[in-house]
Amino acid sequence: MRAVSLIAANFLREHRWPVLILFAWIFLTALAAGGFGRDRVVPDDVVFYVQQQAVYICVFSAFLAADAIHNERKSRRILLVLSKAISRGQYLLAIILGTSAMAVAYALVFGLCGVWLTARAALPSGQLWSVVLLVMAGSVIAATVAMFFSTFLNPYIATALTLLLFCAPGVVHAQRHAWSLWLPGLPILVDVMHFNFRSDWAMNWYAAVLAILEAAIVWMMAAAVFNRRDIAIPVE
Amino acid sequence: MPGILDYDNVTKDYGSAWSKRRVRALNGFTLSLERGEIFGFLGPNGAGKTTAIHLALGFMRPSSGSGSLLGEAFGHAASRARVGFLAENVALYHRPANKLLRFYGALNGMRPERLKLRGREVLRQVELATEADRNVAKFSRGMQQRVGLAQALINDPELLILDEPTSALDPLARVAMRELLLEANRAGKTIFLSSHLLSEMEMICHRVAILDKGRLVKLGKTDELLVSHDRFEVIARGVPGGSFEHSQTREGHVEFVVPAVSQRDALERVWALGGEVLSVNPMRRTLEQVFVELTNKGDNT
Repeated sequence: MRAVSLIAANFLREHRWPVLILFAWIFLTALAAGGFGRDRVVPDDVVFYVQQQAVYICVFSAFLAADAIHNERKSRRILLVLSKAISRGQYLLAIILGTSAMAVAYALVFGLCGVWLTARAALPSGQLWSVVLLVMAGSVIAATVAMFFSTFLNPYIATALTLLLFCAPGVVHAQRHAWSLWLPGLPILVDVMHFNFRSDWAMNWYAAVLAILEAAIVWMMAAAVFNRRDIAIPVE
Repeated sequence: MPGILDYDNVTKDYGSAWSKRRVRALNGFTLSLERGEIFGFLGPNGAGKTTAIHLALGFMRPSSGSGSLLGEAFGHAASRARVGFLAENVALYHRPANKLLRFYGALNGMRPERLKLRGREVLRQVELATEADRNVAKFSRGMQQRVGLAQALINDPELLILDEPTSALDPLARVAMRELLLEANRAGKTIFLSSHLLSEMEMICHRVAILDKGRLVKLGKTDELLVSHDRFEVIARGVPGGSFEHSQTREGHVEFVVPAVSQRDALERVWALGGEVLSVNPMRRTLEQVFVELTNKGDNT
């Protein structure tokens, strides 16, 4: 497990600049939504900010995870790492951990900005942390699915497929098929999209737990596929 | 009993199963490394040397055949903890050299206390002790190559697999690298070395394999490979200088080379001329000559 956490930490370190830029982006959008110069913020703007950032964090996680293997193969740095006593499954787990750690940090910054906004809009902030938790779980499943696709596809196609997988079920769900709630990430997406700061909204714990369980299954599938891949062949 | 590194009739094809453009990088490759030897792996570009190394480390899977590394099938993660690997054109994360070594060592399950000591030790071995705190991104190619070697040595491996380790080094650094490899070998490490530098290989390798177009064309002890039993070198005295074709006279001795089939005739001729035969030895070639001969033969066929 130590090796996994080391690779994850190294992954975080390698991506520190994009993450810092994204943190700045959260602040800037919060400032924009907080309406600098205005006395009070409109609640609808805060809801929009929360839903928009929640989706961005999941998309960002998918982008980051989809690119990870490709970048490491392209730079050939993966060779020295996988020449050590690391299995392919552990390596993928490290990438998921690294991406998730980044998403957690991103979600926490988003939560803090959200608290500031809710204070300005005179809204209760308690529910916001439930959204943050949902976003963390959503990021984990988004990253894992993107990484699974990237084990056998180009990262751009992997990201596109991931986003398609997360959006298309929305259409299915709109048709009210009960089984659609088993699709990865969909219950989280539905829950976040219904978030409104009102007392009738409650966090869907089932969605968060299901996302983590699905992520574990997808990780095992990714490891099985990645085990059969030739990683030394140069990628374009 | 399995060797330290074994290939058993391994074939590796590149290209997808449905692709018409499939390239056979290795073809029925069989080899067994003996513990404690320095093994040289030679071949022209595209011969399949790097493919063979990558198969051993589990970076790819053979299309057919099998192999084992330290008694475990290729791809077994735990066995790699006892292996040190340096890739061709080494690519490192941009971190200070000592931290980078600790990172790679920890991936092999080494404890932090041991890593600290071992890190200092290997950096001293590769003559980078004074640069330990500098980011490797600021290093020259040669220095990065030495950091690459240091990370291969960090876990005190039983087997060192080095793919073109001297490719980016200047002549002095090459000599230092050679000394380092010999020292590692004296300490009991087995070394599997792929290189284009034939003179280096000739100096340090106990055994050599020559690979061409994915096939093993020669395998043997370096000394035996370099000796030609087709031609003999004769040194005689007491005969006129020009008595033999292409003969050379040195300090009163006449030296000439004769094919094995006419060796007896040549010796009788020396005696008939009233001379004395001082020595008859099989002609010794350089590894480069053997290499060119074998790989050109492949081209002709």
